[in-house]
Amino acid sequence: MSTATAQTGASSVVVGDASTRHRTVPMAYAPIAVAALLLALVPVFIGDSRTYMGLAMGGLTIAAYAVAFNVIFGSTGQLFLAVGALAGIAGYASAILSDRFGWPLLLAMLVGTVAAAIVGGLFSWVSVRRSLDVIFTGIVTLTFSLGFESLLLGQRDLTGGETGLVVTAGAGTVLRGLVPPYYLFLAVLVAFLVLYRWLQRSHFGWAFTALRDDEMTAELAGVDVARYRVWAGAIGSAMLGLVGALYAHHEAFISPTSYAFHEVDVRTLVVLAFGGIGTLMGPVIGSVGFTIIDELIRDYGQLRLTIYGVILIALFLGFRGGVGPAVVGAWHRLSRSARAAPAEPDAG
Amino acid sequence: MVAVFLDGIVAGLQLGLLAVGLTLLYGLGGILNLAHGAMAVAAAMITAALMNASVPVVLAALAGIATATLIGLLLDQTVMRPVYRMEGEGRVLLSLLLSLGVAFVIDGILGWQWPNAALSIRIGGGAVPLFGVPMRMGSLYASGIALVAIGLVNVFLRRTRQGRAVRSVIQDEQGARLIGVNPAMVRTLIFALGGALAGLVAMTQSMTAPVNVTAGFNFTILALIVTVVGGLGSARGALFAGIILGIVNALSAYLIGAYITSIILLAAAALTILARPEGLFGRSA
Repeated sequence: MSTATAQTGASSVVVGDASTRHRTVPMAYAPIAVAALLLALVPVFIGDSRTYMGLAMGGLTIAAYAVAFNVIFGSTGQLFLAVGALAGIAGYASAILSDRFGWPLLLAMLVGTVAAAIVGGLFSWVSVRRSLDVIFTGIVTLTFSLGFESLLLGQRDLTGGETGLVVTAGAGTVLRGLVPPYYLFLAVLVAFLVLYRWLQRSHFGWAFTALRDDEMTAELAGVDVARYRVWAGAIGSAMLGLVGALYAHHEAFISPTSYAFHEVDVRTLVVLAFGGIGTLMGPVIGSVGFTIIDELIRDYGQLRLTIYGVILIALFLGFRGGVGPAVVGAWHRLSRSARAAPAEPDAG
Repeated sequence: MVAVFLDGIVAGLQLGLLAVGLTLLYGLGGILNLAHGAMAVAAAMITAALMNASVPVVLAALAGIATATLIGLLLDQTVMRPVYRMEGEGRVLLSLLLSLGVAFVIDGILGWQWPNAALSIRIGGGAVPLFGVPMRMGSLYASGIALVAIGLVNVFLRRTRQGRAVRSVIQDEQGARLIGVNPAMVRTLIFALGGALAGLVAMTQSMTAPVNVTAGFNFTILALIVTVVGGLGSARGALFAGIILGIVNALSAYLIGAYITSIILLAAAALTILARPEGLFGRSA
């Protein structure tokens, strides 16, 4: 949303980003702490319900995917339509290495994560080298996603094809059960958010902002565009891989659908559309909203898809920067008028 | 072997036709319509429903194509309005995300209304020999209709005033505006044409194999791949790329096996983008 953000009503996103950098350290990380605290309370209310804990785990997973996607797309404008595939590389690699070849669980997950990082870094490197724009990067990664899905379906001996793979590694650890894995995934999500905020505030963040605002100028000012892109691609993909691997061992079962484009990528996009692309708390707000709506309209069957479509259209027409920033913007405007400050023309 | 080639061409003609609408819209100003496949499936479902109500096939097919055309017009007049006000990458992205939403809406309604429906138009008559290979009547009809449609599109783009206006906008929107072409009108025209062609492909596809209610996503992906390989914005490129990919698809399915085929197809698309981002037939930037 690089250019779109700069040009349209979503400029509140950019303003928000810029102002956060001047905040003190505790203030910059405060939203993460609040969210962590609220989310940590969830099992207190629904901890004994298998159904609701399943939903909550799904929400955490998508939120983590969305933060990783944000690192890649939200900050460097590289449209990776391979969220599910990159997670799937690590998920399948880790499951197969540990179950079939008897590798230790942690080592298998590490190798899977690194594999995802290498593939993602390679995407970035290729798209920088060939100077592909957003759409072409999107299409190349999309073809990779679909190709990966076909590969999973085809390599029946290794992946179990359509019937999927029962994952035994992880049994008896913190990854299984109802409440322990919830806190593990929550810890991962919080770590991701901290990493994202830290990246934003580091020289990485300055370079990303400079890139997003004006790539040419950034390059002239000495920002190594290629290097930052490749790093963002690799770091974000490693994050996707880690979540994908954890997911595989937690669910104890994976199939091509677990990482399919129309499941993972589409859902991540909807969540980010809801919460705001390229914002810190967007993935969390979006994921909570999405999970609640998803549960509310569970009985509508096929029409759910239609409802998502309507929501997606309405969100992109109404709040191009996501609901989160829109609410924050409205709050700022309200508090400003409450202080009876002179009305200034709003950037949005 | 000849049979495989011919099958590939039959499939390729339709791939090309499916991609024409998509590629022209992109050329006209960076609009990527991910609801393209959903439009085709909507046409198929309307036709199937009408055929079940014993409406004659030709009428039902025309009604289906009209439905897809109307969806195209509706998209252009409503959801896509804000997209036109944007520029550059923002425009492409917003069109992509909004049309993805539209695709969800259409797919959801179709799946809810007709959960297990499929359209297949049966063309009677036995196999006809062509180059010593027996061809099914359905394939011949499908190819014939596709060829006629391709011819008409070509005549429209090259010979008519409206068609030249379309090409002028693709080449240079500012210049076209200066000589009195209205880009908004041209876009509306192409949205309608794209819808009609998508509907038509649904009809011709269903003559060789049933078109399921879930086919929309696949249609869109195939059209996207063909569009990219042929060069974004090039109608002729889309047609050639469609035929080439159709043959590649049939050959590798015959020689290697079905699942590797889709990977080869996807790899071909990715490699084309990397080696020649303007597409096989696109003008180099």
